[in-house]
Amino acid sequence: MSLVDLMSMAKPNLESRAKIFSKLKGRDLVNCFQCIKCTSGCTALKLLELKPHEIEKLANLGFVDELVVSDVLWTCVTCLKCVQRCPQKASPYHVIMALRNLAVEKEAKIPEAFMKAVSQILETGMAEAYQKISKGTETFDRESLKLPKICSPGEVFQTLFLKALEEK
Amino acid sequence: MKTAVFWGCRILTSQYAYEMSVREVMPRLGVELVDLPEALCCGDPVKSVNDFAATYLSSRVLALAHASGAEHLLVPCNRCHFTISEAKRSIDGDRKVSEKILGMLREEKLEYDPNMRLWHVIDFLHGAVGLKRVKDAVAKPLKGLRLASHVGCQIIRYSDLGRVDDAENPRKLDELIGAVGAETVDYAEKLDCCGAHLMLSHLDTAFSLAGAKLRALQELGVDGLVVSCPDCGLMYDFKQKDAAATVGVKLDVPVVYYTQLLGLALSIKQEKLGLHLNQSSVDKLLMKVPV
Repeated sequence: MSLVDLMSMAKPNLESRAKIFSKLKGRDLVNCFQCIKCTSGCTALKLLELKPHEIEKLANLGFVDELVVSDVLWTCVTCLKCVQRCPQKASPYHVIMALRNLAVEKEAKIPEAFMKAVSQILETGMAEAYQKISKGTETFDRESLKLPKICSPGEVFQTLFLKALEEK
Repeated sequence: MKTAVFWGCRILTSQYAYEMSVREVMPRLGVELVDLPEALCCGDPVKSVNDFAATYLSSRVLALAHASGAEHLLVPCNRCHFTISEAKRSIDGDRKVSEKILGMLREEKLEYDPNMRLWHVIDFLHGAVGLKRVKDAVAKPLKGLRLASHVGCQIIRYSDLGRVDDAENPRKLDELIGAVGAETVDYAEKLDCCGAHLMLSHLDTAFSLAGAKLRALQELGVDGLVVSCPDCGLMYDFKQKDAAATVGVKLDVPVVYYTQLLGLALSIKQEKLGLHLNQSSVDKLLMKVPV
């Protein structure tokens, strides 16, 4: 479903809009003048139809609740070209990340892999799972390559990380 | 120069060749690397979930670097480098954030040092070690190799944050490749992203992005692609077959980390550089390396 379809029955929610603005910490979303430089250079435009200028406009107008439940938020590759090229310092990448954070707060459906990464960090300290590398008939791991062992997280860290995740 | 090194998850869990080659080349250039065994994730995937929690994870890495007694922190991963840079800006510029973070660090008896200098392998070799020193250390110039460079996204953008190289025309990696005696080509797709972040949500698109770039490079007929980020290494080297299947062409582009290439020029044994771990056809490139 395109974003425009999502908007047909929508009403702006100024409270949610304010939440996004506070997460942006002074980045000038409000200054976006729809020059479309972000979208014209967007890595995810061609393949996933991400149009950062639309997200900027809709967030500015207060259609934040609609954006938060939209799959389109999760199509950003985080290449940061939009932040670099925006003449108004309206940082589409940061708007998208703020919306993603709000989606989590509002318990919207988000791609599994993100929450899996969080629980993995809590458990092992690493966002990625440890892999053995095969080449030909041989298999290699840290031990066989004589690389130092990886540490596990301590309880103090786990408590602190959980506490940090509650911050809004 | 005593330098703390933070590897991040991807290098420690699969991109061993990058880790091995960095460990091999740095001491030969007068750099003493100090590991931070207690350092965990930098916070990158957590940025999408909770920005504050990501900032906390990064701050912990910076604080552990400080505790090691080093004044420099080397971060060979592009994403970690970006995440830590943004966290540092947030802590240095936002009192409310820094008060909370510093309090949390104290619970592990850790201290944040705003003067910690952050480096990536590229600007570290180019600036701190110096291009001249790299050039002088070369024992076996890699003459005749025609290579393409891929710097990745997050160490060059966005400039306001203070990045490793120019956002639209990065040259440092090319100059470093030149320093070991090889030639680089300029190509239209140079700034195209590898797509690694989409591995979390849109696998096919991630492979399409990686495949499109590799296809272009194959048509250019380069001897290999040089990367300096474990995510890019994962996409172009480890996942080259998946990328090929997705874009529907046979791909056969050797992909190496810059530090592996440098290691070859420093006459370090191939096995010590992890060249037996690359999944792309590096043998094709190695055959062209002068003996």
